[in-house]
Amino acid sequence: MTDIKTQDIEALIEIFDNSHWREMSLKVEGLELFLSKTPGAIAHSSTGHHPADLAPAHATAPSAPARTISDGAKTKSTLAPVPDHWVAVRAPNLGTFYRSPKPGVAPYVTVGQTVAADTEVCLIEVMKLFTSVLAGVEGTVRKVLVEDSELVEYDQPLFLIEPV
Amino acid sequence: MALRRILVANRGEIALRIVRAARSLGIETVLAASAADRDSMAAREADSVVVIGPSAARDSYLNPRLIVHAATATGCDGLHPGYGFLSERQSLAAMCDEAGVVFVGPTRDSIEAVGDKLSARRLARAAGIAMTPGSEKLGTAAEAVAFAERIGFPVVTKASAGGGGRGMVVARDPKALADGFQRASIEAKEAFGDGTLYIERYVQHARHVEVQLLGLGDGRVLHFGERDCSLQRRYQKMVEEAPAAALPETTRNRLHKAAVDLLAAIRYRNAGTVEFLYDVERDDFYFMEVNARIQVEHPVSEMITGVDLVRLQLKIAGGEPLRIQQHDIAPRGHAIEARIIAENPDRGFAPSPGRIRVWRPPHGEGMRLDTAMEEGADVPPFYDSMIAKLIVHAHDRSAAVERLRAALESFVVEGISTNIPFLRAIAAHPDFLDNRVDTRWLESVFLPQYGQRKDV
Repeated sequence: MTDIKTQDIEALIEIFDNSHWREMSLKVEGLELFLSKTPGAIAHSSTGHHPADLAPAHATAPSAPARTISDGAKTKSTLAPVPDHWVAVRAPNLGTFYRSPKPGVAPYVTVGQTVAADTEVCLIEVMKLFTSVLAGVEGTVRKVLVEDSELVEYDQPLFLIEPV
Repeated sequence: MALRRILVANRGEIALRIVRAARSLGIETVLAASAADRDSMAAREADSVVVIGPSAARDSYLNPRLIVHAATATGCDGLHPGYGFLSERQSLAAMCDEAGVVFVGPTRDSIEAVGDKLSARRLARAAGIAMTPGSEKLGTAAEAVAFAERIGFPVVTKASAGGGGRGMVVARDPKALADGFQRASIEAKEAFGDGTLYIERYVQHARHVEVQLLGLGDGRVLHFGERDCSLQRRYQKMVEEAPAAALPETTRNRLHKAAVDLLAAIRYRNAGTVEFLYDVERDDFYFMEVNARIQVEHPVSEMITGVDLVRLQLKIAGGEPLRIQQHDIAPRGHAIEARIIAENPDRGFAPSPGRIRVWRPPHGEGMRLDTAMEEGADVPPFYDSMIAKLIVHAHDRSAAVERLRAALESFVVEGISTNIPFLRAIAAHPDFLDNRVDTRWLESVFLPQYGQRKDV
């Protein structure tokens, strides 16, 4: 397990985010990973060397836009910093974000999936008018940044894609 | 039921004004901002902000779907459109109705009834309000003279096929009209291929006067006195006053009654303004149009009546009973507003966006500044270039003019060009001091003098 890639850790974080777990710690050769949903939590044993680009998922303040809608915790954990070459798919305007064509149907894309520039990745709804958003770049979906049916603002990052 | 949370669908000083008025009533605010305004003063003071679209107004502030979606998705039960943008767009009011969001303004039917020019004229006529008297198409000079003698000289001929000054001859007596009629007809024929003319009463000295109203939606309409907005450049108001000091008291009372009658007839709800052309020589007024929104110049009416019109708008929209009655509204003193605009009067009034390096507004008794600007703020190039409204209030007009001069004198803005030097020159002009201006004065008398001043 010496060749853990950033995307592997990303995938772990996504699994953790979507789980009911409060904490997760993982020790493998050359890596110690501690994730917690309690702000300010610290790993009980901190002997490992954290990879420089990883921080506990919820231990740092999310780098959301400085002032957005106040109701509800709209920002999930954001991994900072993100590899420079990853590309964000952004909302073309304000609207409600939908990951699938209709309720109960599989999402357009999932993490790890490869997409072409013209692959539909989500819908943005404005007053019952649905607009599909394209990936805009060929690559692999690395992160979904918004919850289904959440209000998104103009230019808000929705997905991160690692280009080919 | 009182409003709980409103979406503010505007920007700049009026957005800030609405945010503060709402806060004073315990109403939460969500500001719908464009990307250019996400860090604006209104964005900082609102309880929350949603960025609805890019800087270009047509993809943000002018898109009613985005705005109503933002309102419902953030749990707003009301929406205040401010002025400009979509404030008088019937579709916005209709979408709000359908989404169950209270539109802080008139009903969609009222917006339509007063927004359409012909429909508004029908309403005015039904309320017994005069229009500028004019004829049907006239075939001969003799017909024109006969009509002019009925409505009174001076009259102006107008080409039925087009405008732009072609076919327009001002005539002060029957002989001038008979002579001018042929000339005007030939000119119209050459310009538009049709020499048909009609005539209208010519208003030599016109003032723009308007009445501020608030309808309660049940047929009761309150008025908050009138304003004089005669200082205009290209139909854009620059300086506004309340009251209209040139009006005789009986005319003033007739004006108020006409405006109230017009809006009461359609059970008008919320803020509105009826605009009139006042003919100084004949001491008579004619209906122009109705503005179904809060207006830029509403502060001068607030200063003389002591009410907060935006708060009252929010109360009416929330269905709260108003304790205020017409006899409680007693205008006091005189107020003047000068619009501070990021433009360069020495370069054809070219807009002057940019960063405000120095911002030192005047302070003092009887002074009010409505603005969302401050030192270091950006004037974006995408929108209207008005950056502040300087309002002064004093016991009478000459004291108010004095206060305006002092305020403009000490107002320092650096980093962008503004019309402040231009406003200073207006405030010091003898015609302005003596209130001898009309709607043509700024462009035909003042501007040529200003262009020739020594200190350019």
